[in-house]
Amino acid sequence: MKDWILDLSLKRPKQLYWFMALFTLVLAGFIPTIQIDTDPENMLPAQQKDRVFHNQIKKEFQLYDAIVVGVVNATTVFNPQTLKNIHQLTEQVLRIDGVVSSDVMSLSTIDNIQQEEQGTIRFEWMMKQAPSSQSKATEIEQSVRQLPLMLDTLVSADNKASAIYVPIKNKDESYQISKEIQQIADQLKGDDEYFITGLPVAEDTFGFQMFVQMGISAPMAAAMIFILMLFFFKNLQLVIAPMIVAMATVIGTMGLLIACGFTVHIMSSMIAIFLMPIAVVDSVHIMSEFADRFKPGQNAKQVAKEVVSHLFKPMLFTSVTSTVGFLSLALTPIPPVQIFGIFVGFGIMLAFIWTITFMPAYISRMSPEQLEKMQNKFHQKHENSVIDRLMNIFANISVRYSKILLLGFVGLFIFSMYGIQKIQINDNPVRWFKSDHSIRVADKVLNKHFAGTYDAFLVLSHKNRDALIQGTVSQLAEKVSKISNQKLKNELTVKLDDFSSQRISIGELIAIIDDAMFNVEGDDVEHLEGAISLIEETASELNYFTQPDTLNYMSELQLALQKTGLVGKTNAMTDLIKTVNRELKSGEASDYVLPETQAGIAQTLLQFQSSHRPQDLWHMVNPSYSRATIWIQLSSGDNQDMTRVIESVDKFVKERPLPEGMELQWAGKTYINVVWQEAMVAGMLDSLFSAFIVVMIMMIILFRSVMFGLLAMLPLTLTITFIYGLIGWIGKDYDMPIAVLSALTLGLSVDFAIHFIERARSIFNQTGDFNTTIKLMFEEPGRAITRNAIVIAIGFTPLLFAPLVPYITVGIFLASIMAASAIVTLLMLPSALNVLKRFLFNTQPTKGESHDI
Amino acid sequence: MIFNKNLHTFMLVVFSISSLNVLAETANELSAEQIVSKANLSAYYAGSDGRSDARMKIVDEQGRTQLRQFVILRQDLSDGGDQNFLVVFSRPSDVRGTVFLVNKHPLSDDDRWLYLPGLDLVKRISAGDKRTSFVGSHFYYEDVSGRPPEADNHQLTGQNEQYYLLKHSPKKPDEVEFSYYTTKIDKKTFLPMEIVYFNDTNSVIRTVEVTSTKEVKGYPTVTESKITDHKLNGYTIMQFKFMDYDIGIPQDIFSERSLRTPPEDWLKRKPE
Repeated sequence: MKDWILDLSLKRPKQLYWFMALFTLVLAGFIPTIQIDTDPENMLPAQQKDRVFHNQIKKEFQLYDAIVVGVVNATTVFNPQTLKNIHQLTEQVLRIDGVVSSDVMSLSTIDNIQQEEQGTIRFEWMMKQAPSSQSKATEIEQSVRQLPLMLDTLVSADNKASAIYVPIKNKDESYQISKEIQQIADQLKGDDEYFITGLPVAEDTFGFQMFVQMGISAPMAAAMIFILMLFFFKNLQLVIAPMIVAMATVIGTMGLLIACGFTVHIMSSMIAIFLMPIAVVDSVHIMSEFADRFKPGQNAKQVAKEVVSHLFKPMLFTSVTSTVGFLSLALTPIPPVQIFGIFVGFGIMLAFIWTITFMPAYISRMSPEQLEKMQNKFHQKHENSVIDRLMNIFANISVRYSKILLLGFVGLFIFSMYGIQKIQINDNPVRWFKSDHSIRVADKVLNKHFAGTYDAFLVLSHKNRDALIQGTVSQLAEKVSKISNQKLKNELTVKLDDFSSQRISIGELIAIIDDAMFNVEGDDVEHLEGAISLIEETASELNYFTQPDTLNYMSELQLALQKTGLVGKTNAMTDLIKTVNRELKSGEASDYVLPETQAGIAQTLLQFQSSHRPQDLWHMVNPSYSRATIWIQLSSGDNQDMTRVIESVDKFVKERPLPEGMELQWAGKTYINVVWQEAMVAGMLDSLFSAFIVVMIMMIILFRSVMFGLLAMLPLTLTITFIYGLIGWIGKDYDMPIAVLSALTLGLSVDFAIHFIERARSIFNQTGDFNTTIKLMFEEPGRAITRNAIVIAIGFTPLLFAPLVPYITVGIFLASIMAASAIVTLLMLPSALNVLKRFLFNTQPTKGESHDI
Repeated sequence: MIFNKNLHTFMLVVFSISSLNVLAETANELSAEQIVSKANLSAYYAGSDGRSDARMKIVDEQGRTQLRQFVILRQDLSDGGDQNFLVVFSRPSDVRGTVFLVNKHPLSDDDRWLYLPGLDLVKRISAGDKRTSFVGSHFYYEDVSGRPPEADNHQLTGQNEQYYLLKHSPKKPDEVEFSYYTTKIDKKTFLPMEIVYFNDTNSVIRTVEVTSTKEVKGYPTVTESKITDHKLNGYTIMQFKFMDYDIGIPQDIFSERSLRTPPEDWLKRKPE
């Protein structure tokens, strides 16, 4: 196959060029249909159970994603000017298209319940009009402070900040809506400051920044690599070739990804910048080798053919091992990471194919003058270059101090293992922005003033509901069967069936029987009355979340959560009931309790429903009272903090078991982040482990030696351990980009080992002397490895200028990985070879099959 | 032509003073104020007193329902003037016995009381805002008790064979959530058959439709109406049954005493 490809490339270069151009252009045609996806929820598959539940809860309780606008005043927001601003801002926000106006929460849209004069209770808008005087403003302050659901949520405890929650129908509009809000705020008078944040804004803004990243960082990486290669090869025409390979690879891969209908997530937005340096590496090998072998007057085609057929196997192996590293990401349960792994893997193989077909064709078609020019420049000796001096040092110490070095590596390994124990697994999508980004600033300010802008929901459900309904249905069926009026009996049987399958509510069923009462006589009246009292009994059991025991448990759970100090605040129907109860009774704190009976609770809720915003109740409990939420506000979106909250709830439930019939589940964005992160950590271990095994088997097959195979795995093992150990020691959180790096390291750093061992064996076979081998190894092979490490490391540095933190993290760590990996390979392998030479090399050189590269 | 048709209708309907008035004044081209005043009487002041069973089905955006069932007793102190209401809840069973007592004063604040049996609590409700939800439905308190004609400026915008078309603008726009509303008032019964509320961008925010009427003791009476809240995407259907008029409810029924001990005799349904 190798020969066939080479023939094709060398004999029909024009057809090849056309094919390559066409292939790339067709795929490029799909790029304009790009769909950006910034929803962290998509880190989980659409069918993942926590995600499905989360969305079900969002729908059931009509919890829209909200933009949070914070109005901050240096002394107090309760002054006429600031309140006027809040009023005005809210009025205009309500008019913005795409805002769920009935759910906007602001001082001017909420209801106040309070005692008026002795014995009266009053529902009124908290701030229908902006107050005209300071005393009126102070009245509003006093009212808000009486409402536990609003304090710390809508107004900060220090009075210096007030929030406006702006739920939006479609979060794709949030960036634009937040800009509109900003414009409105900019025109307001006074010395108030406005901060706009909220997850939808963060996500949408993030998407915008991703475009910026792809538009700037990827071309910068290309430019960087181009300059670097120009520096190494000093021949413009030659250097254009690997750039063409890189471009064709990147465009082809991204085009295919988009053509396959995948959205571009934060991970896949990095594909271009990953492929760029990797794609040129093989070309660098071909160019180096060609420059080495080609002598003026030779047939360029012939030399190119020799070079490529020579390099075919090692290039195939390095490409396949890198691909395996990336493909292993497909084993993680995180779809965007899977897509990233699969397409980078594809891109590497595409780069391999373009390299071995395009490069020989291109080189062999260069003019003799160009070739000669390249020759001259390339063979200039640069004895005193930094790389050469470094190679000399490496050559010396690796042989002289083999044992000490190896001991040092063992020490480093142990040190790193300790570091790994210290790794903090944590992530927070808002931290993906740089700390001076306006979203991070707003996030910080608002979370300082309020109970927290991060949401999690404890969802409590009545799990016996269905059994209860079915039990009642069979009892009712018995009563209905006794009815003598045949027509009514049939009708009720149908309705009972409707109720059984929950097509009609229990209230509707009662209404039907109630109506029927007027058209019956004799014993039937008794049967129907019996049925109604039975249904009413069931109804009060079904109204699980109006039962005092249930609500008392909820209250205790909230209190326990509050006591942990981990949560900013909890909000639930219990708080609402207590508030209304207090105002119905004395208005004093002593009456801030739950009523003692189910009827008392139901009637308190009926009162709340006589306010301006009765629908607010359905954010806390569903209309069948079978499920309720506790909204937990957290001032930190860190997964670690959320995990601690989950643990504290688990602990509470262990000490105070859930009431019979209650089920507890989690929902909310902050919780979902924890779920995908946990899935990712576990998935990454699997992926790393399986990739490690596959690569090791490949190494053993490649070298036809278990010893050499294992040896090839040593440098990358140490590099990965070292990098993660370092992350543990310096206290950098293990987040998504860091997690992905393990697979990359494995795929990239094994390349160095392959090249080193192959060359070492081949040189030993020629020289038969170990010391000479090592000396020669640090000539051309050492330089090639170093050069490649530099190309890749520097190729990733444009990521440092990216506007988003995950890109910067990847840039820094990839550069470090390349450096560590090259150094470890060049020091560890010769030391190990030196110590183990008796077992690895025959003292007498034998002419075996060629292994040289 | 209109006259003839009305005359024909007139001959068929049960004789009553109010329908006589209707006829007489229809002929004389009523002013907007007159139409509204008649509609007010027709919708809220039929007979000198009355009772009705009412059932509300409240349906939210997701199609989830809640039911409320209650009896309304009403007594007019003067036509178009003060009225007394007693509203006693029977369902859902956990709010059974909850009572509202209202002394309505169209020209000043209403007096409202509330009794909650579950808390054994009698409470006065401050007059305040009448545009709050009526027990969680999409009806406002004012939709049930009646918005005084004096609160708005009225304008007759058109008419057809069946309806007067009017537009009403609030005199105190700050106190209401709408900027104006339109009504379709039936020329025969003077019942407002459709009310549409608009906000300041001329979008419809609420719609009240009368979906069924019948005549009870000669009074045209709404038996079912539907209100849709276009902002919340929910609606409430209110059904009236077992209506009766001019039954002679004593005035002391509408006192605080009835809160704790509802007047069972007057609440009982009588077959229609």
